[in-house]
Amino acid sequence: MSIKIALAGNPNSGKTTMFNELTGSAQYVGNWPGVTVEKKEGRLKGHRDVIIQDLPGIYSLSPYTLEEVVARSYLVGEKPDAIINIVDGTNIERNLYLTTQLIELGIPTVVAINMIDVVRRNGDAIDIEKLSRSLGCQVVETSALKGIGAAEAAERAIEAARAESSCRLPSVFNGSVEHAIAHIEESIEDMVPKCNLRWYAIKLFERDEKAAEELSLEQALLDHLDEHIKACEAEMDDDSESIIINQRYAYIAKVVSSCVKKSKRKKHSTSDKIDRVVTNRIMALPIFVAVMFVVYYISVTTVGSIVTDFTNDTLFGDWIIAPLGEWMGAIGVAPWLTGLVVDGIISGVGAVLGFVPQMLILFLMLSILEDVGYMARVAFIMDRIFRKFGLSGKSFIPMLIGSGCSVPGIMASRTIENERDRRMTIMTTSFIPCGAKMPIVALIAGALFGGAWWVAPSAYFIGVAAVIVSGIILKKTKYFSGKPTPFVMELPPYHVPSAGNVFRSTWERGWSFIKRAGTVILAASVFIWFTSSFGFVDGVFTMVEEMDSSVLAAAGSFIAPLFAPLGFGNWQSAVATVMGLLAKEEVVGVFGVLYGVSGDALHMVEEGLFEGLSPIAAHFTSLSAFTFLIFNLLCAPCFAAIGAISREMNSRKWTWYAIGYLTVFAYSVSLIVYQLGLLFSGGAFTVATAAACIVAAALLWLLLRKNPYDESTEIKVNLEVGANA
Amino acid sequence: MMPLKLAKLGEINYIRKISGKDEVRQRLAELGLVVGEEVTVVSEICGNIIVSVKGSRIALDDGMAGRIMV
Repeated sequence: MSIKIALAGNPNSGKTTMFNELTGSAQYVGNWPGVTVEKKEGRLKGHRDVIIQDLPGIYSLSPYTLEEVVARSYLVGEKPDAIINIVDGTNIERNLYLTTQLIELGIPTVVAINMIDVVRRNGDAIDIEKLSRSLGCQVVETSALKGIGAAEAAERAIEAARAESSCRLPSVFNGSVEHAIAHIEESIEDMVPKCNLRWYAIKLFERDEKAAEELSLEQALLDHLDEHIKACEAEMDDDSESIIINQRYAYIAKVVSSCVKKSKRKKHSTSDKIDRVVTNRIMALPIFVAVMFVVYYISVTTVGSIVTDFTNDTLFGDWIIAPLGEWMGAIGVAPWLTGLVVDGIISGVGAVLGFVPQMLILFLMLSILEDVGYMARVAFIMDRIFRKFGLSGKSFIPMLIGSGCSVPGIMASRTIENERDRRMTIMTTSFIPCGAKMPIVALIAGALFGGAWWVAPSAYFIGVAAVIVSGIILKKTKYFSGKPTPFVMELPPYHVPSAGNVFRSTWERGWSFIKRAGTVILAASVFIWFTSSFGFVDGVFTMVEEMDSSVLAAAGSFIAPLFAPLGFGNWQSAVATVMGLLAKEEVVGVFGVLYGVSGDALHMVEEGLFEGLSPIAAHFTSLSAFTFLIFNLLCAPCFAAIGAISREMNSRKWTWYAIGYLTVFAYSVSLIVYQLGLLFSGGAFTVATAAACIVAAALLWLLLRKNPYDESTEIKVNLEVGANA
Repeated sequence: MMPLKLAKLGEINYIRKISGKDEVRQRLAELGLVVGEEVTVVSEICGNIIVSVKGSRIALDDGMAGRIMV
């Protein structure tokens, strides 16, 4: 029979590192609380019949955050055979709070005092024997990072699971509290399994609604229990939840004082000293700006452009495309097939993969900042600013990552506990120009604005402004209104980044982009090649010479009028915009093909060969090019990002809301810019100008109106959120 | 008593009272912020503070910081 062992512990206590150590797998670990939201499974090395389950990091078993709900419903509902409770030895008091709750679950528990190497280095000592006796369960010393004790912890857990020896419950509570809990135990004895008795009794004492629901107790019994709870509350002059918390901490303080010998603490830890500088009132922002400047400078200009050039020219150009073309010609492959493979597939996919090195360097730098512990501080620093337009500081990290690729950016929004904030972050993250949108920016800047310096910064400015404006507008809608949720977050201690962690997280984020190049973009390349090479000529479906008669052109012409008020109502732009849904950089490639640029347009943009792109420039004015840029930057992101939105929203309705919002917003802004631009440059006042004025007025009203849902509706919204969570 | 956000940086204080909704207090308690606990403000930006409590650092916005009295 297989044994299931769950790893449970506080965020950042080293669960995932321990999971990797035990299962030999390579899950990515972050120095950023809340890395694991879903649970992960793996088999224990050397024991095929033992399954290790990694749970998200939690501070307690109250269902307050998404992580706690996941962990709690697993531990209570599915009942693992044993729990290994990972305790951060350097922060034992806070960590034992969860331990006492886990033990009450009645599942055999082994406590692993983790980071024991750091504890020893600090000169502290923990009396394992004594701690084990006090808690009534096995205690082992471990250091997952150094590979100490993990196997022993697992062995003990297996033993405990086989013996089904539930822990002897420590006497955490006393006086009238213990009395009241014992009374509740008596009343519900017949309704719950014996081992869970204490857990449910305490939860009922705390008036935990979820527990009461699970047991489906009769109202009469609940009322009866409530009398006892009220009596106890009156005696202790506090509410039942606080009573439990206080007695728990009092018990832990007693245990810790007898089992842990602390060396004389230095007054301020190194982390505190660094924090005093890095999060200093005056220095925080300048330091942050400097750090970000260095990150983007390195990943875009210096190292980034070297590796990008190598990938595009040497790897794909000289090593793959040229030899492959020659080889296919030599063995007599039909020219159209060679065209499909070399020009369609490899050039298409290769051009996309050309971004990968640059993106990996950006992600590498961000991963280092994360592993060091700086990212958590960034959330703290940015919170004040983000709060002004209805987002929390935690929304900043998704957007930072989104500047590389929206997919991992949207995924990073998981660490935001509040559902409203999370949804708003997911909806706005893709406004930030990702790496794949940069070629569009470069094309417009190079081919139409003579390489003007301000075009690229303006793209970021538009993105950030869109986030801010959306934040303010959405905050005044019914769903998103209400007070921003309080910002509470544990900041991990600073530490030297570990190479393994940094590379793993870089790879995981970069991989989501590469995988896309291999699947979606591959298919897109074939699709464009096919639809642009075939069409109906005189009612016969055949391969066409001129693209104007292709299927693609027909489809493009059909939707093109939609874009006419924005200034780019020709079928080529319509097709390019739609193809941008497959991958944003495709916009440039499609333009190249459709406007008959000789050579690979994307490649030419990367090389800065803008003279060759004049066929594209001929179809645009400066104004229409700029609105085309705005629309493509802000509208629905690529399919891969839409996929990420739908996964993270976990709701079809919300996915459509998000895509709809992005597209309508993009259309409105482009319309306003184009029509008012025309008007101010001496154009006539037309119906479209009037429409633009109306949209502009509506946007301003949405932005400036007084929040109709202020304060008064707050309670209702909270209830809704609670019900959805 | 004064709100925690008014405490001097680096000074050791003891929490005397925490006000607010149950849910908020519960959350603070899970992080170690309970009455009687020793707490030090490490850093402050526009009312948002970082506190050191039970050996870990917790970031709080000004609303939360205002609820903790020392």
